[in-house]
Amino acid sequence: MSANAPRSIDDYLKQLRAALADQDPALVQDALYDAEEYLRAEVAAHPGKSEADVLELIASTYGAPDEVAAAYRDTEVKVKAALKTPAPASASPHAGGLRRFFGVFMDVRAYTSLFYMLLSLATGILYFTFVVTGLSLSAGFAVLIIGIPFFLAFIGMGRVIALGEGRLLEAMTGERMPRRPVHPGAPAGWLTRIGEMLKDVRTWTTLLYFLLMLPLGIIYFCIATVGLAFGLRLALAPVVVLGRDLNFLPLGMALDMIQIDGRAVAAPHTFIGALFYMALGLVILALLMHLARGIGRGHARLAKSLLVEAGA
Amino acid sequence: MDDSQARKFQKDLNGGLTALVLLTVLERSNEDLYGYEIAKRLQKANEGEALFKEGTVYPVLRALAAAGLLTSRVVPSYAGPARRYYRITDEGRAMQRQWSDIWRQTRGFVDRFIEGSDV
Repeated sequence: MSANAPRSIDDYLKQLRAALADQDPALVQDALYDAEEYLRAEVAAHPGKSEADVLELIASTYGAPDEVAAAYRDTEVKVKAALKTPAPASASPHAGGLRRFFGVFMDVRAYTSLFYMLLSLATGILYFTFVVTGLSLSAGFAVLIIGIPFFLAFIGMGRVIALGEGRLLEAMTGERMPRRPVHPGAPAGWLTRIGEMLKDVRTWTTLLYFLLMLPLGIIYFCIATVGLAFGLRLALAPVVVLGRDLNFLPLGMALDMIQIDGRAVAAPHTFIGALFYMALGLVILALLMHLARGIGRGHARLAKSLLVEAGA
Repeated sequence: MDDSQARKFQKDLNGGLTALVLLTVLERSNEDLYGYEIAKRLQKANEGEALFKEGTVYPVLRALAAAGLLTSRVVPSYAGPARRYYRITDEGRAMQRQWSDIWRQTRGFVDRFIEGSDV
């Protein structure tokens, strides 16, 4: 056994964190959670022994921190390779500029990011309401006996929601997010727990993220709906013109593509003209998809820095 | 004799075998199991020899779940944090059978050389 073998659970976790220093913070959170769960269960299973005694045997059962770190590193590489959505052919640098520009229509990530943008208004409202209600009720209840359990439950629920948001973001954008929540640590009194939560930077950045989601959600939703409405209306121009010529246009539907203050500024009258509108619409839709993909990536990174990295 | 060479060989061997053992444990089990329980079962079968480290069980469980061979659910626990219970899926059972066959063939093949019966 090496000279600096861990003597306590905190020691062990510290060494494991150091051994995984070069890894994704989401992976580190998962590895620390697993180790803490195992170590605490192991200590609890040997009530007669001290924590130091139990940890002396850990290197031969659970594995030394660097061995465990190596196992996570190996598995992560394999899982990442197996689960990775293959990049569309158009994403390769050899594809021509035009093909790369319109190739975004073949990219699953662009669609899922666009979906996330539409969804973010709803989740943003929920998160915002959750934080505002939780904080104000916590303040109000603080003088009552139920104030302490209420605050603990509020923060605990916030962590679960943060984990769920992370899973959603990973599914939508592919950014690696934690699969386990933050470990609550050793059982402790309520006041100690509250003190730790208040001291933990991540508690506050998580609440900040939830608050931010409302304005961000509004912006994302507006970009997505305006872009989709604008792009689809133009892209479908030939159908509208054909509808007029073949008399299947619903009553009251205008040819006007864009109206400003009730005045049409763009309205195709011939099928050939409509094709130009269609081309413009497809370009706008492609731009929207590129934008969605970019926003998805940027937002995932923001979420990671506030929900995962802040506490690491 | 260099001990680290032996350890490295063991680690290379364990690469795919841990997954097969975990699938088999869950396939034989009548109930859902969580990480610590599974690790302890393996430890018992290990009979004191350091064939594998329990710390390697968790990432493999997660990888198997991600591949759809296991499903999992979270159950709150009085003793500490919530536990994740695993159960094998039909796909996982099929994979376990297939992997077991491969293992038997491999073992037979290697044994034929090591036991020197028909080389």
